[in-house]
Amino acid sequence: MGSIFSRILGRLWGDKEVRILILGLDGAGKTTILYRLQVGEVVTTIPTIGFNVETVQYKNIKFQVWDLGGQTSIRPYWRCYYANTDAVIYVVDSVDRDRVSTAKEELMAMLEEDELKDASLLVFANKQDMAGAMTAAEVSDALGLSTLMNRQWSIYKTSAVKGEGLTEGLDWLINVMQK
Amino acid sequence: MNLDAFKPKFFATSTKGENAELLVDLNSEYRDRRKDAVKRVIANMTVGKDVSSLFPQVVKNMQTEDLEMKKLVYLYLMNYAKSNPDLVILAVNTFVKDTDHPNPLIRALAIRTMGCIRVDKILDHLCEPLRKCLQDDNPYVRKTAAICVAKLWDLDQERAVENGFVTTLQDLISDSTPMVVANAVVALAEMQESSASKDVFVVNVSIMNKMLAALNECTEWGQIAILTSLAEYRPLDSKEAENICERVIPRLQHANGSVVLSAIRVLMMFLRYIKNDEFIKGLIKKMSPPLVSLLASAPEVQYVSLRNINLILQKRPDILQNDVRVFFCKYNDPPYVKREKLEIMIKLCNDRNVEQILSELKEYASEVDVDFVRKAVRAIGRCAIMIDEASERCVNVLLDLINTKVNYVVQEAIIVIKDIFRKYPKRYEAIIPTLCENLDSLDEPEAKGSLIWIIGEYAERIENADELIENFLESFLEENSQVQLQLLTATVKLFLKKPSQSQEIVHRVLQTATQEIDNPDTRDRAYVYWRLLSTDPQAAKAVVLSEKPPISVESGSSKISPGLMDELINNISTLASVYHKPPTAFMGKKAFSADAVRKAAVEDAKDEEQITGEDGAATAGSAAPKNAMADLLDLDFGSSEPAYTSPPVSSSKPTSSGPNYSADLFDMSSDMSSGGVFGGMAGMNAANGAQQQQQQSFGVMSPTNNSNQFGDLAGLGGFGQPAQQQQQQKPAPSSQSSTVNDLLDLF
Repeated sequence: MGSIFSRILGRLWGDKEVRILILGLDGAGKTTILYRLQVGEVVTTIPTIGFNVETVQYKNIKFQVWDLGGQTSIRPYWRCYYANTDAVIYVVDSVDRDRVSTAKEELMAMLEEDELKDASLLVFANKQDMAGAMTAAEVSDALGLSTLMNRQWSIYKTSAVKGEGLTEGLDWLINVMQK
Repeated sequence: MNLDAFKPKFFATSTKGENAELLVDLNSEYRDRRKDAVKRVIANMTVGKDVSSLFPQVVKNMQTEDLEMKKLVYLYLMNYAKSNPDLVILAVNTFVKDTDHPNPLIRALAIRTMGCIRVDKILDHLCEPLRKCLQDDNPYVRKTAAICVAKLWDLDQERAVENGFVTTLQDLISDSTPMVVANAVVALAEMQESSASKDVFVVNVSIMNKMLAALNECTEWGQIAILTSLAEYRPLDSKEAENICERVIPRLQHANGSVVLSAIRVLMMFLRYIKNDEFIKGLIKKMSPPLVSLLASAPEVQYVSLRNINLILQKRPDILQNDVRVFFCKYNDPPYVKREKLEIMIKLCNDRNVEQILSELKEYASEVDVDFVRKAVRAIGRCAIMIDEASERCVNVLLDLINTKVNYVVQEAIIVIKDIFRKYPKRYEAIIPTLCENLDSLDEPEAKGSLIWIIGEYAERIENADELIENFLESFLEENSQVQLQLLTATVKLFLKKPSQSQEIVHRVLQTATQEIDNPDTRDRAYVYWRLLSTDPQAAKAVVLSEKPPISVESGSSKISPGLMDELINNISTLASVYHKPPTAFMGKKAFSADAVRKAAVEDAKDEEQITGEDGAATAGSAAPKNAMADLLDLDFGSSEPAYTSPPVSSSKPTSSGPNYSADLFDMSSDMSSGGVFGGMAGMNAANGAQQQQQQSFGVMSPTNNSNQFGDLAGLGGFGQPAQQQQQQKPAPSSQSSTVNDLLDLF
């Protein structure tokens, strides 16, 4: 009875999904973050050739979270997923100082896209559990976040393996989107 | 101000077309809309609209718990992966995840779809999931993965070997589930065909036993595959072959015709190894009922069965002996089935059932289908030639048919009677007057030629033979070359038999033929006769009135050489056994190799050989000299077809001299001048042609070799255009006739 009712409601209001993209260079920890959010555990992952998509329920909001592969060969196809995106989570490997500039280039190129002009940006400075990780401020500087105009953005330091910082980031996201 | 804005827009519509709409819907935030969009995409795909541009958007909907949606997206992928090879990479992760799915159906679906995506770029990513699925707990997944290995093999053999898939597949033959075994067999058999080393799938005793164990339990397709691979096995001794046969026999009861035929193929092949006569007898007895029940199926299946039965009968004539009634034509059988049934009826004809068959054939001769009626009449003739005791009855039936006065029946009957005359000379002369009564109704060259031949052959018994011939000669120049040749020979025969009456006729005929006829066939034959008659009438008598070789039964039906027969038996239940041609003749590149073409041409010529035609030549291998002369005399029938002379005629006795030599000369001259040579030339490629031409110009030097060569040439003619057409296009080479003259001087 209840399910029928909710389906009718769903028809009326529509099961509109909040769509979130998780992007970032390969090996940044996107897939680990996705499954940490979904099942709350660390799963063993292999490089994502393609994409993962999962529905994540957080604080009574259903997110449809897309995790796209970060390898050079797949990055050109990110653009296929931009449509109807409400927010982008950009994951940076805080230990990988060498490639942080590449991460910046990819991020800037992405934000140029017309389809993402209304999307909020949440940056995760990931792998904080490892030695030699850059701080959130360092990452922010390296990515040049302060130069962003007309964009809701925030940066959080996270550790997907330990599960630290993720919920804080999502809280901010919900907060921004409900405004 | 931009004036364009006020112009009416006919071509630029506000919407960007259906694909743009679909694109929006595929990206929708609503699940239902996305699903509807995917359905519409598939609908468009199936009606042939190009929706390949939506590839990334469709693939985005691939990861879903909705099985319906997943299947649709997979369907799309299979179709369009090839046109978007770069984008396929987006689907890889989903494939990998789906092959780990708890639902075996989804695992199998994923691995199958992956196999169908023939894009090199994702091969790397395909190997790991494939390895998992090959060891899956679920047999359905394993069997799907087995097929997938064959697909990978097709794209990249090295990768399949390196990853150990081939070994795994070989291990799957020992699988506990018959379905998996059958699919592994299918995959391996296919891989074996394309493998260079041919060591992927060698059927040995242990594999054979495992296949036999799985045989009874798997689906019909699996059974067909296993039976096909079983046929590859070579049993070590008679006992083993018997055992295998015992285990295959139950398959004959299967409802699927293909399973039955595959089983029959295995049995037919293993029969060769069995030495136990009792067992063979029993086996053949058991093979009859399933073959009979195949004839209860749809006409197309019947046709295939009949073609195969035709082969089996030629190999094992003792099969189906008591079932001839099954092959009687029904009024509503399609023509192609009727024809095959007729063929088999003749094959089954023996002195016990001939009465039955004859009355049946007589019925057929009164049907409306002209083609079928002709075939039925011919069949009566073949009965007569095959069974001595029945010949009288056959002749009576034919006379009855002639009395119906139906034009085409009469003509066909006369052609057939000519063959009976050849087979049983001097036995049925009493009917000649009846035949002559119908003289005026004949308008087909072959029928005319037949009657003329009869008149010439029995000139001494027909009082007014000269009148009859004279009658025909009135239209000599207008006649078909086949009739002309017959007339020529008949006149000469008449002259040799009754010189006093016909000296004037023969002179006139020879003159006309040498002076007014352009056809080198006719002209050269006239020259030969003329010289022969003017040089030595006794020799002419010996040549022209020589005894004909007997007509053999086999040459009439489509007799297949033993080598080809074995190959066709090995291919029962395939197209080869329907065409009665080896697979190489119609499959792949091999068919175009010179040897294959040549071989095929020879076979063709054999196939097309008719009872009235060059049968003497085909059977002449044993008795060379006389037969070769007879060839010359009887060559005319069906000379519009390329004349085929079997090579052994001349090569069998290359050292003998005298009459044999002369026979070869004749043989050659006739071949040289026959249209087949030209047809053959035209049909060949340039290099070959040049070579042959050279040979031809040296014809005089080594007649034995050359006539041999020409025989082949003529055979090749079957591939060229109709011989006579060719002849008219090429200027009749004058050197030809002079060559013949040279030959005659030699003689």
